[in-house]
Amino acid sequence: MREELIVRNGFVFDPLNGIDGEKMDVFIKDGKIVDKVGSKASVVESSGMIVMPGGVDIHSHIAGSKVNSGRVLRPEDHEKDYEVKTQITRSGVGHSIPSTYTAGYRYARMGYTTVFEPAVPPLKARHTHEELDATPIVDKACFPLLGNNWLVMEYLRDGKIEECAAYVAWVMNATKGYAVKIVDPGGVEAWGWGQHLRRLDDRVPHFEITPREIVRGLCKVNRLLRMPHTIHVHTNNLGFPGNYETTIETMDCVRDLASGDRPTIHITHVQFTGFAGTSWLNLGSGAPEISNYVNKHSHVTIDLGQIAFGDTTTMTADGPFQYLLHKLSGNKWINADVEAETGAGVVPFHYKKSNYVNAVQWGIGLELALLTKNPWQVCLTTDHPNGAPFTEYPRVISWLMSSKARARVLAKINKNARRRLHLPGIDREYTFNEIAVVTRAGTAKALNLKEKGHLGVGADADIAVFNLNPKEVDPSKNYRAVRKALKKSAYTIKDGRIISRNGEIVESSMGKTYWVNAKTSEDLMESVTSQLREKFEDYYTVQMENYIIGESFLKAPSRIEVSSEV
Amino acid sequence: MKELVLKARRVPNVPAEALVVSPNFIAGKSVEEICAAEVWEGNRRIALREVFDVEGETAKVAEEQAVKVIGEAGKVRKLGYQMSSGLITVDGNAGMYLGEEMKGGTITVNGNAGSWVGTKMGGGTIEVKGNAGDFVGSSYRGSRLGMKNGLIVIHGNAGNEVGCWMRGGTIRVKGNSGQFPGMHMSDGTIFVEGDCGGRAGAQMTGGRVIVVGRLLTVLSSFSFEELRGSVKVGEDKVGGPFYLFTGDVCENGVGRLFVGVNRNPHLEWYKRFIETPGDGLCRLV
Amino acid sequence: MRCLAETFSNVVCTVCGCCCDNIEVTVEGRKVVKVKNGCAISMSKFMNYGEERIPTPLIRRKGELAEASYEEALREAASILKKAKYPLLYGWSLTSCEAIEVGVELTEAVGGVMDNTTTTCHGPTVLGEHDIGVSTCTLGEVRHRADLVVYWGCNPLHAHPNHMKRYTVLSKGRFRASRKDRKLVVVDVRRTDTAKVADFFLQVSTNEDYELLSALRVAVRGDEIEQDSVAGVPAEKIEELAEIMINCEFGILFFGLGLTMTPGKSRNIDLALSLVRDLNSKTKFLIMPMRGHFNVTGVNHVSAWETGYPYAVDLSRGYPRYNPGDTTAIDILLRGECDAALVAASDPVASFPAKACRHLAEIPLITIDPHYSATTLVSDVVFPSALTGIETCGTVYRMDGVVLESKKIVEPLGGVRSDVEILKDMLKLIRG
Repeated sequence: MREELIVRNGFVFDPLNGIDGEKMDVFIKDGKIVDKVGSKASVVESSGMIVMPGGVDIHSHIAGSKVNSGRVLRPEDHEKDYEVKTQITRSGVGHSIPSTYTAGYRYARMGYTTVFEPAVPPLKARHTHEELDATPIVDKACFPLLGNNWLVMEYLRDGKIEECAAYVAWVMNATKGYAVKIVDPGGVEAWGWGQHLRRLDDRVPHFEITPREIVRGLCKVNRLLRMPHTIHVHTNNLGFPGNYETTIETMDCVRDLASGDRPTIHITHVQFTGFAGTSWLNLGSGAPEISNYVNKHSHVTIDLGQIAFGDTTTMTADGPFQYLLHKLSGNKWINADVEAETGAGVVPFHYKKSNYVNAVQWGIGLELALLTKNPWQVCLTTDHPNGAPFTEYPRVISWLMSSKARARVLAKINKNARRRLHLPGIDREYTFNEIAVVTRAGTAKALNLKEKGHLGVGADADIAVFNLNPKEVDPSKNYRAVRKALKKSAYTIKDGRIISRNGEIVESSMGKTYWVNAKTSEDLMESVTSQLREKFEDYYTVQMENYIIGESFLKAPSRIEVSSEV
Repeated sequence: MKELVLKARRVPNVPAEALVVSPNFIAGKSVEEICAAEVWEGNRRIALREVFDVEGETAKVAEEQAVKVIGEAGKVRKLGYQMSSGLITVDGNAGMYLGEEMKGGTITVNGNAGSWVGTKMGGGTIEVKGNAGDFVGSSYRGSRLGMKNGLIVIHGNAGNEVGCWMRGGTIRVKGNSGQFPGMHMSDGTIFVEGDCGGRAGAQMTGGRVIVVGRLLTVLSSFSFEELRGSVKVGEDKVGGPFYLFTGDVCENGVGRLFVGVNRNPHLEWYKRFIETPGDGLCRLV
Repeated sequence: MRCLAETFSNVVCTVCGCCCDNIEVTVEGRKVVKVKNGCAISMSKFMNYGEERIPTPLIRRKGELAEASYEEALREAASILKKAKYPLLYGWSLTSCEAIEVGVELTEAVGGVMDNTTTTCHGPTVLGEHDIGVSTCTLGEVRHRADLVVYWGCNPLHAHPNHMKRYTVLSKGRFRASRKDRKLVVVDVRRTDTAKVADFFLQVSTNEDYELLSALRVAVRGDEIEQDSVAGVPAEKIEELAEIMINCEFGILFFGLGLTMTPGKSRNIDLALSLVRDLNSKTKFLIMPMRGHFNVTGVNHVSAWETGYPYAVDLSRGYPRYNPGDTTAIDILLRGECDAALVAASDPVASFPAKACRHLAEIPLITIDPHYSATTLVSDVVFPSALTGIETCGTVYRMDGVVLESKKIVEPLGGVRSDVEILKDMLKLIRG
């Protein structure tokens, strides 16, 4: 039996259970939230403090092949930002591409307890799991990339939705993945030849399928499999002026596949695909148009991909975009195409206030958050590390909560950009409740993680306590206090144990790795598996048996069973 | 100036690092505080006094502080780290990373210095009477921020990649240099009075590399421009004549490479590209 | 009594960076009796895995290596490492990622430097990548798409015998069915066996690859090479190669020690990476280092995710620091700056410079290895260990970063322990 704990007397924000800053106790036993504990329970005194569920990051590049290539690429990123080992913690380095131990500790110090790695080439999934297993404390999962997968494209081209679903289920199992990730659908396959694909109805060379068909097909597959999360989409045309139209087109292309109020598509780091204008010279914000669409359509969720000024590293599976960024910036460049599946690219980047384009980008992310009415459709991310390292979340939160904080930055950015943005005219300020939604309740809901993101009975006892009194501190005026409190939680509790106190890790642990065991009917799976067996050697340079990751490979797997409609 | 004298007591057999040997750190502290200051020897933290006998006095401010290091300090790294004024004299050899991130002041080494002299230097002067290792005036791995300002003079020979990713300032090598002086440099001047091990100015985008002595070949990514009678280095007018090349063309570079004519008879063939004045055409001479 | 034969399929070969994973190994008792799909080197490793094995732990007493118990050897090793002010923990490329992870933890615990065989082969490649990056892919991309394959300063027919057959010009790809759909170019200082089967061979003067790469870049840009010949190659031929490269649909440049370990070293690679980057503005072009040891890529990855750096990691201050030339094994040894060493899964004395080996022999040296080697012979403590991919399983990384799980197909000879076990026990003892 594990320790009993009372998180006492804090101001609790638990949006999933309708609790909005109420002063109450939270009871923990055996790593779960319970409704009462015995008299011997230890007390975490939280009077005058904010209590929230532990943060749930829906999209953060922390583990895997391209992340590690980025680490090797940039010794200069690590040189001055390091962590010395302690009795409890391992040493490591930052800054924008932290080593795995450092990443886990830094998340935990900020009160985050669940982090999802959003882009894994299935062929290299084992690498991602090795790194996730070296990332302490947080619970995690990963999304296998499927939007440029040869087998997926062929099945969809031939109209074989059910076989495609079975194949995707097979991949989810083989890679121990959580959700269907799509990056630049069809575009990365074209990039395999050095070509670019810009429109949703362009044909992928040699595959006779379009990005629209890939997105729709995988959306149907996702629904058939009853996957907990929607398809998670990095749209075509990322990084191009005017690309907000592609974003809306992509959202709209699966509108008819929606049923009820449940989302059918999640568009990720929308800031990068929220550009208006026709060139870099007249780049503008497409946020109003996108937010307008999202406000009218409940089948869409988004995450921001907010930038913060400073030095960071871009890394995505969008090989063609990364090449273009390299050409634009002149910075060093990694490209890594993956056979039959996808690609990747890494380019260091420095966002400058004085730079017109960067300043507009900064505005776009915030406009998206502020103009989208329903916080349950918005997730806070920086697409770590593309927009900024995740350690900038407190700063981003302060921008959402305080128009004064925004005004201070607006005063310093490129003035042409300031004129171009709508942001100066937006007064809205997020409440603590809304922040809790976009950083934990809403993200957990979007991922369908039933035991995360809330403090109801039965939830995992993952809790963040921040030394900030919502009754005394006005986040609008005193945004610095907000930043300070969120940077280092007073307590971070994971599975009912205090692992961080005032920014110091006091206990290390290993989190779970969630994966989804999507199952189709036996006949369908047999048929698809034998098709796969025939094709595998033709498509891949590894044996099929060696491609599959067994559950025992993961240190702490947590399987989520779903059974599909087929 | 007040002088503090550090006499090496023993030669460390593992890497030792003494960031504290810098006028900026020493000024304003007592001698006792200096003696107790932390020095790394391998994986052990020890007091400075275990590596050096300390005598003399400390000044109130760095610009009045002189530091003299005597004895075998060739294993002690990072002398002069981030110093911005004052004086360091090393009577003997100095270890690696001499004057790293230095912004001002003067360091004189009467013996040899290890590799990475003046890394990321932003100002001041470093003078090494003997030889220096590789990467004089360079950046850190993966970074493009090499030496930005200041003066480094190596009286003896320097190793490879002098001025790697250099952005400004001047490096003078009175002896010979190894390969790749000016690798990836974008600005500044590298002046090699002796011979060069080869590949001068490789991948430079700007700045000047001047080699008086022998240079076996000039890279094909350098384009011959003209003959120059002399070249100015600081206040000095260095007599040539010199072949002047621009490059590295593969980096769209506008760097200039000066190679002494007299010591390089094998480069005579470049003279065929000399323009005859008046007709604007390039022809064989 | 005859032992029943058992055939294991989809075995991952643990010789070179090709990590061929379609090997079929037939085992009778403890003997490997048949190997299918492996190259000659692979077959030899599997079939002779039992040769030259160290039977028990050894400790040097009175100048001679004598048998010792595992516990005694552990105590001795732990004592050596705890006392050391700057221990070097080197090797790692011939073992699994799981073992390497413990190696990092051990290095951190004893405040030492962890370096691996990258330092003697593709360290220069890593250094080049720090400045330029790299445009690369997995090997299947080459098999499917490449119509131009360039081998520069490497001889795959000898060092990576299955490379061409499985991944490049002799393989069957989706868009390139056979040899005639590809052009093979070799650049080397001599006409190697690989050069003999090339469609186009460029013989470069020794130590002048940098000059040749520079001239090639000039030609690729469409600028004129002012010299008549560069590095022993006539300008026209350089221009011809540039044309071949520009006009391909998908080109790949594989390179080896001919570039990394000749004068210029990391700058040779810097230039090759830059050339390939330049080519991407004209066509699709990629580059890949031919990694030698079967898990050297794995060490780089484990080291990078755990510490941020792929080799030469100095953990003596309790946090990772990195500067090849300073924190690399050979440089440390040449300067005589480490006071103890642990060598795991490698044989540095067989390949390091003599002066470095002398220092290694002078300081207290612990070695973990399945076989007797030059390094074990000068060691003070020796642990026999199990062979990864034969006697113990573990994760390995192919030269292109694809991860495979090597299998255990026989019980370890003489009950020797795996590297993971030995390192974990050592760590436990050191932590007290």
